[in-house]
Amino acid sequence: MDFSLDEETILLRNSAEQYLRENCPTSFVKKVVKEQTGFSTAIWKELADLGWLGLIYDERYGGSGGKFFDLFILFEEIGKVLLPSPFFCSAILSGLIINEAGDAKQKDAYLPPIIQGEKIFTMALLDEQGRYDFNSPKLEAKETKDGGYVIDGTRILVPYAHVADAILALAEVRGSSAGGPTIFRVDGQVDGQKIVPLDIITEEKTFAVIFEKVEVPAGNVIGSIGKGHIYLNKIFPRAVILKCGQMLGGLERVIEMTVAYVKERHQFGQPLGSLQVVQHYCADMATFLETTRLITYQAASLLSEGIPCEKEVSMAKAWCSDAYKECTWIGHQLHGGIGFTEEHDLHLYYKHAKVSELSFEDSWFHRSKVAEEMGIGSLLR
Amino acid sequence: MRFTFTKEQDEFRQEIRDFLKAELEAGAFSVDIAELVGEPSQEFSRKLAQKGWIGLTWPKQYGGQGRSYVEKLILIEELMKVKAPIGYHFLADRQVGPALTSFGSDWQKEFFLPSIVRADEGMQFCLLFSEPNAGSDLAAVSAKAVRDGDYYIINGQKVWTTGGHLADYGWLLARTNLDSSVRGHLSCSEFILDMKSPGVTVRPLINMAGTHSFNKVFLDDVKIHKKYLVGQENEGFKQIMAQMDYERAGIERLMQNYPLYEHLISYVKKMDKDSRGFYSWVRDQVAQLEIEYNIGRLLCYYTAWVVDQGKKPTSQAALTKAFCTQYEQRLNDVATKVMGPISQIRQGVKWSPFGGDLASCYLWAPSYTLQGGSVEVLKNIVALRGLGLPRK
Repeated sequence: MDFSLDEETILLRNSAEQYLRENCPTSFVKKVVKEQTGFSTAIWKELADLGWLGLIYDERYGGSGGKFFDLFILFEEIGKVLLPSPFFCSAILSGLIINEAGDAKQKDAYLPPIIQGEKIFTMALLDEQGRYDFNSPKLEAKETKDGGYVIDGTRILVPYAHVADAILALAEVRGSSAGGPTIFRVDGQVDGQKIVPLDIITEEKTFAVIFEKVEVPAGNVIGSIGKGHIYLNKIFPRAVILKCGQMLGGLERVIEMTVAYVKERHQFGQPLGSLQVVQHYCADMATFLETTRLITYQAASLLSEGIPCEKEVSMAKAWCSDAYKECTWIGHQLHGGIGFTEEHDLHLYYKHAKVSELSFEDSWFHRSKVAEEMGIGSLLR
Repeated sequence: MRFTFTKEQDEFRQEIRDFLKAELEAGAFSVDIAELVGEPSQEFSRKLAQKGWIGLTWPKQYGGQGRSYVEKLILIEELMKVKAPIGYHFLADRQVGPALTSFGSDWQKEFFLPSIVRADEGMQFCLLFSEPNAGSDLAAVSAKAVRDGDYYIINGQKVWTTGGHLADYGWLLARTNLDSSVRGHLSCSEFILDMKSPGVTVRPLINMAGTHSFNKVFLDDVKIHKKYLVGQENEGFKQIMAQMDYERAGIERLMQNYPLYEHLISYVKKMDKDSRGFYSWVRDQVAQLEIEYNIGRLLCYYTAWVVDQGKKPTSQAALTKAFCTQYEQRLNDVATKVMGPISQIRQGVKWSPFGGDLASCYLWAPSYTLQGGSVEVLKNIVALRGLGLPRK
């Protein structure tokens, strides 16, 4: 057991902290999500130049071959400021899938522009009920006579589809020989593809993508036919833990804001923070922070070391989801009315906490996975 | 950042496990789930002493091993898993040793430490801190220690004295500055009291689980030689707060009922799945317990690591204990609900689950969030010391 950070990790964290503090204040976040792109292209370019987009990828693709744990720390910093960008959907989700499942040609073609920030990829994973349907995706890919595919169906909650150069979609192949869940690369803005903006609570740019007889060539299949769910399950833990990193960062900021506020806000002729009931709320938040940090760092560290940790990942996401949300509720209770206004920043985290809780499955789902990992049987179907 | 143990630490853990397995197989002790550390057994403590497992973190010059708190935690974790009978040396090992190392005189260190480490006869300790009117507000102690030549004369009453009826020595907090205008924090001192001294009366205080663990201790004109004063006169409160960090930092607050948790999990693995709604609830609850248990364990190891870095873990230890004890209470509540109405049956008949230990554990549960600082007192520490919130 060693709870100290490596020198290198500290350096990265400090420079990320400084860059994001200077370039991504909450006033900027509130403004940029309302713009057409929903993110700053200038910052996007800098994320690439700083080497963050390619942090964990091989040098041959222009990455820096860094540790997953460092990427996690970076996401913790991003979570503190709630930087809106396609980082997660492009360089993480899409990048990891291509890296995991793509053949050499696809990796050579797709990874460098993702890492350089020249191309934006996104992933279309959720069905119209907002569920992950990895095992039998409701998106359909019918094999055509010339060996290509025609994709039909709708995916929702697809981030940054409006600027995506490519969308990776999981579709069920119905072919002559092979079939099953398969990942396709679909160009952005192709014939038959429609995107519908979704007004979600965080205001991050998110869309429904409707595929109507969208033709894709056979070369756009990423990995093997019928194995899409396997690839996704393989990258899922890393995606989950980076999400947890963001949540941890957000949680830290909520506590920071709230503790600072109760120190300075006076009522009844004294600082709110001198009242014991307020102090106990704050102690509860501090406990959520410490516990979330440990359980999340543990999973990130084990993933980084390549040690099997399905259970630890699910423990982290289950705990993180509840803890972050709980802290935003306490934060609102202690901020009182001012926290309920748009001018205040707290609502950004309240929204982020809920959206994060619900993405990559909620605490109930992950507790169920923990139970399975403990050797407790599955639920009867 | 490394969440795995070193090879040496893994080997140490294995050595402890092998030892305990052999002891259990030889019938050296039976597992008592409800009480914190079980019946004191000097014989068992001596066996640990021979392995060098008492005073593990203490300086070598007093018979300790000078090892890390992380290693100590590995040791206690394994002992708690099987609820080994460590009551004879537990308090001395956890609190008396570190306190003497920090504040004791040379004579005290030389007299007590090697003897505790060997689990010698006559070295069982109890803690004489709380009083009827000084519970959470420990600085309100009113037991008096009045200097008379080379002696102090003690008068007062102590309560919640675990093992007071068995202890050879008591670690006593008493007021040495009787000026009522001076705050309690600046007017108390610590003493080591020979429990056989004239004027010491120990009366049982049976807890609601029906167990004699606590005592009331009456002190009437008890004489203590000044060489038993620990540290500085009137500095006792400060010293005791440092000691409490060790009391709170341990993993025993997470693991008091550990075998119960194991029983529960193995029951759930085999339970009837037909009642789907109930089964779904049980899985969710047990997974939540598992997460909390794992977090509690990480908190304990993190706190030990903080101590190993030479830092004071005050707020961290308080947070850890508050979290862990609340887990333990939930464990008991969830287990009784999973097992249903038979949970109320105590031992002695075939129908009582887990040999009746479940009912006993549930009865012990209210004490967890009170002893060694109530959850509320611990939250105060986190808020004031950890977060720097203003005092009133």
